[in-house]
Amino acid sequence: MRMSNFGYLVRRGIGSVFKNAMMSVASFFVLLVSLLLIGLSVIVAMDLSIVMSNVEEKNEIQVYVNGELDQTTLNHITDAIKNNPNYLNVIYYSKEQAWEDEKAKMSDYKDLFDNLKENPMPHTFRVTVKDISVISQTADELATIEGVEEVMAPLDFASALVDIRSTLSVIAGSILVVMIATSIIIIYNAIRSSVYARKQEINIMKVVGATNAFVKIPFFIEGMFIGIAAGAASWFVTKVTYEAIVQLFREDLTIWRIFGLVNIIRFDDITWYVLAANCVLGALLGAVGTIISTGKYVKV
Amino acid sequence: MVELKNVDVHYTDGPRKQPDALNDINIRVNDGEFVFIVGDSGAGKSTLLKLLTREIQPSSGRVFVNGYNLKKLRNRKLPQFRRSLGMIFQDFRLIPTLTVYENVAFVLRVIDKSKKYIRQRVPYVLNLVKLNDKAKAYPGQLSGGEQQRVAIARAFACDPKIIIADEPTGNIDPKLSYEIVELLQDINECGTTVIMVTHNHDLVKYFGGRIINLKEGSIAFDGYIEGE
Repeated sequence: MRMSNFGYLVRRGIGSVFKNAMMSVASFFVLLVSLLLIGLSVIVAMDLSIVMSNVEEKNEIQVYVNGELDQTTLNHITDAIKNNPNYLNVIYYSKEQAWEDEKAKMSDYKDLFDNLKENPMPHTFRVTVKDISVISQTADELATIEGVEEVMAPLDFASALVDIRSTLSVIAGSILVVMIATSIIIIYNAIRSSVYARKQEINIMKVVGATNAFVKIPFFIEGMFIGIAAGAASWFVTKVTYEAIVQLFREDLTIWRIFGLVNIIRFDDITWYVLAANCVLGALLGAVGTIISTGKYVKV
Repeated sequence: MVELKNVDVHYTDGPRKQPDALNDINIRVNDGEFVFIVGDSGAGKSTLLKLLTREIQPSSGRVFVNGYNLKKLRNRKLPQFRRSLGMIFQDFRLIPTLTVYENVAFVLRVIDKSKKYIRQRVPYVLNLVKLNDKAKAYPGQLSGGEQQRVAIARAFACDPKIIIADEPTGNIDPKLSYEIVELLQDINECGTTVIMVTHNHDLVKYFGGRIINLKEGSIAFDGYIEGE
């Protein structure tokens, strides 16, 4: 196809967006909201995984060993911990060190400590895990190591984190599916109404020997134009919304620090990726909607 | 050239078979001929035209148009085949949102002609149908006769081997009908085959030439008559 004729089809496609203004505007806004929700879900999901890993890093299983611990047993327990598939890091904290630290912490009750004949503190191995979702299983496994008396793990906290993460994944996934489906349906309707408005033109095209591609290109341009425009607009709205949410959290420094929000994504760092992703996704949704709506109705 | 050999067309209405729309039709139209196809409503004229443009396939028999065997023509070759035809309809089928010039240029764009060619060809064909001064008008601003002349210009713009006119005088003033047929005859004199379907017997008697008369799906007459 000649460039001049392709240009003509592009102009007709874009012209159709404005001729079909009502449907175009409706599609534009539905797509904008869809892309906004999809974009925010993805960024928030990425932020959450950063926050989760911050929290996870602080989360550890404490493995206690009472009584005396010779070097051989210490090595045996350390090796056994390191052999666990969920092991990430281990710090050994001797009972002597624990005792000294405890005494320092409670210096006001020095008399109490002086009356104790034996050091009551256990030897402690602080084990950081890779995956918090299987922390309970890991704790059980570590408890079976020979010489280990007791294992303490923040199981409630871990399960709460796991629950939050899986709930958020389900919500983000549902938003994604619903929004993509809604976007395709609205584009489908917009293009169908455009096909209907240009029924006569399409019939003439068929009669004079237009190829399927020639008939369909303007509709593709129309669908993709709406998609790209909605993508660009949703990038801007996403930026404003995300920065406003971040600002809201930033005002509460306690939450900010506890959850390690200092490390979350800065929009400026990903702005071009978001713009490109929004425009590509918008164009893709426009194209898919057009394929479905023209496939059946526009056939030479 | 158009050739129909032992063509039958029958439509089915659910499990029931309808009477044959066309029954054992044998027609040959040579290049450069002007043929009137006449017949009452339901005689099979529309079915015959649909066969020639390959909107439908025959139930049996073979149809050849411009060297294409329409029974074997693949869908992807259909646009190429249709570019060898020029179609004129009773209801003109102009695009109301495009000017006269743009309506004619539109079909040239469809068949991927260059900008330069379009700039030369459109004024030429509009001049041929004496509508140069209406190039910027919209179809709604024209009379029925003028709209049909635009449709003729559009059909002729692609320089087709055959022009098929389906009741081209059906929606216009009887006086102007003669002008339309004269215009088609002018085009025919340039070497283009013209097949014109009409139920206007006065027009056929006036111009004469080759007449094919269809009656209940069969050919009742195929021959030449003298014009008045």
